[in-house]
Amino acid sequence: MTEPLLRVRDLQTYFVTEQGSGTARAVDGVSFEVQPGETLGIVGESGCGKTVTSLSILRLIPEPPGHIRPGSVIEFEGRNLLTLEPRELRAIRGNQIAMIFQEPMTSLNPVFTVGDQIAEAAIVHQGLSRRVARTRAIDMLRLVGIADPEERVDHYPHQMSGGMRQRVMIGMALVCHPKLLIADEPTTALDVTIQAQILELLDRLQAELGMAVMLITHDLGVVAGSADRVAVMYAGQVVEQAPTAALFARPLHPYTEGLLASVPRLDAPPAREHGRLHSIPGQVPAATAWPDGCRFHPRCPYAWERCRAEMPPLLDAGGGAEPGTHTVRCWLLTEPRRRTPHP
Amino acid sequence: MPALVDVQGLVKHFPGERALLGLGRPRAVVRAVDDVSFAIAPGETLGLVGESGCGKSTVGRAILRLIEPDAGRVTIDGQDVVALGARPLRALRRRMQIVFQDPYGSLNPRMTVRQMLAEPLAIHRIASGADAQRRIAALLEEVGLDPSFAQSYAHELSGGQRQRVGIARALSVEPHFLVLDEPVSALDVSIQAQVLNLLAELQRGRRLTYLFIAHDLAVVRHIADHVAVMYLGKIVERAPAPALYAGPRHPYTTSLLSAVPVPDPKAQRQRIVLAGDVPSPAHPPPGCPFHPRCPHPKKDARCRTEPPALREVAPGQLAACHFAEQPL
Repeated sequence: MTEPLLRVRDLQTYFVTEQGSGTARAVDGVSFEVQPGETLGIVGESGCGKTVTSLSILRLIPEPPGHIRPGSVIEFEGRNLLTLEPRELRAIRGNQIAMIFQEPMTSLNPVFTVGDQIAEAAIVHQGLSRRVARTRAIDMLRLVGIADPEERVDHYPHQMSGGMRQRVMIGMALVCHPKLLIADEPTTALDVTIQAQILELLDRLQAELGMAVMLITHDLGVVAGSADRVAVMYAGQVVEQAPTAALFARPLHPYTEGLLASVPRLDAPPAREHGRLHSIPGQVPAATAWPDGCRFHPRCPYAWERCRAEMPPLLDAGGGAEPGTHTVRCWLLTEPRRRTPHP
Repeated sequence: MPALVDVQGLVKHFPGERALLGLGRPRAVVRAVDDVSFAIAPGETLGLVGESGCGKSTVGRAILRLIEPDAGRVTIDGQDVVALGARPLRALRRRMQIVFQDPYGSLNPRMTVRQMLAEPLAIHRIASGADAQRRIAALLEEVGLDPSFAQSYAHELSGGQRQRVGIARALSVEPHFLVLDEPVSALDVSIQAQVLNLLAELQRGRRLTYLFIAHDLAVVRHIADHVAVMYLGKIVERAPAPALYAGPRHPYTTSLLSAVPVPDPKAQRQRIVLAGDVPSPAHPPPGCPFHPRCPHPKKDARCRTEPPALREVAPGQLAACHFAEQPL
């Protein structure tokens, strides 16, 4: 395997809560790698830590109340981002690593034209003159599929639709040709026909520009269509990690299994023909009080004593070309015959 | 069987506001709902589907007269809703209720769950005192919450629990008809399935009739008997759910279905990516409102000039497309 572009090892990002009700261990020992040019999907529900993970990579966690604990490692091309000087960090952030956010409405500045906002990064990071940067902004608008870019460059965000604003966000992120794009729920706020446009655009740009993408989403359908590999997060941890095809064909963590079964699907008969949709009982616990042992055990249909007492490590599920291709944080891997739901 | 809910020619236009602090020229009228008709049989669910701004929520509010419709006839439980005066309308509200999308914004943060559930019981003089307490406990249990939640405030509840409280509040007056306006859109997938199952159980147990408003076609497929698809204030296709999902006749329905991501990396689907955005409902295109984005290969001058009527193209299946006989 080639040297990874990004290596996150044992990332722990904690928040001290206001009322002193304890420490929220939002991200608690997360490790993964992103290879050059690949798309890693990070999937999970609200509160699982997926957004805090991405903000930690860019060191955008507000301190206080948050802090990244010592011992955490975030290496980009071999350099630990957590020990960089602010000046060195700024040379990477927005330049080699760029990010797009969920809310295209609030992530753009309403008092600057979209052209100015796209040009800013090129001026700051690449020292372009205003005139050259403006031309670059027009090129970016064209690249992300906005009609009449010469005219649109002088428009303000409120003059654009949600889909166009998200295209502008992507243009801003890509103006310096980053090696890694972190896309946090890039299509969640958009209608389904616009979502299809944006996903297609991201696929095309990734192929053209050869960048790696970290795609953070709650939508298993989006991941299935776009990611090469998937990491599933639950309660601040990665609970399963696998190539996309393997994860969907053979989900091994009971949470992944339950999540896949809960999604209403268009490609399967509707649940009302045979009663109920599958659902995972209970709800995600609070980050200030993760359950002991395996954090999924209170909601897990297979849990036994060991799950309540002992946190499982990421275990190798085999099946890949090399060890560690498909890993699962579940004791079932040591006792597969227990994989029969309790009555 | 006669329909429990019958809507004919519903129209709601919002006047365009004047620009420049009310002094400029008035803007164009927004045709939020433009001649919408449907009926729902007792105990059945109609899924009303469309993208943001298509008018689906306005339909839900207009038939309950939470906003006043401009034209059209709405009959619920045999009563003409539009013609009712204030007092009989309030009485009819016992028969029709709504559950909102946002479980954060639709519950009063200063009331306990008990107060929220007691209020409709008092307003409609259904129960008070110990009888009300008994009913509240039973309602909470029916929606899958422990009766001890009666003491809680909304901020102490998770999104799924809040939505259950919203459902209990709607059920407290024993309605026959519920408008469910995106009731699971704000919830996580694992919680969404719980709430959908609850809604299905309640429907069976209480023989409720639902208008289920949603943007998610996959969710609607699991709960709806019939589906109506809206685009720019009009219904463009309406059919029994199995027919609509198996063989959509309007190119917009086909495109919407093809755009829904499927959680299967092996799925070999032909994805139709529509160009452009939804036009403004203040300036709908002439002819077929969908024609500027329509991917149908046969699209011609007629589509640009002549609005297609919503007509039956297969038994029970209506589509507003000149080429509904040659679907995509």
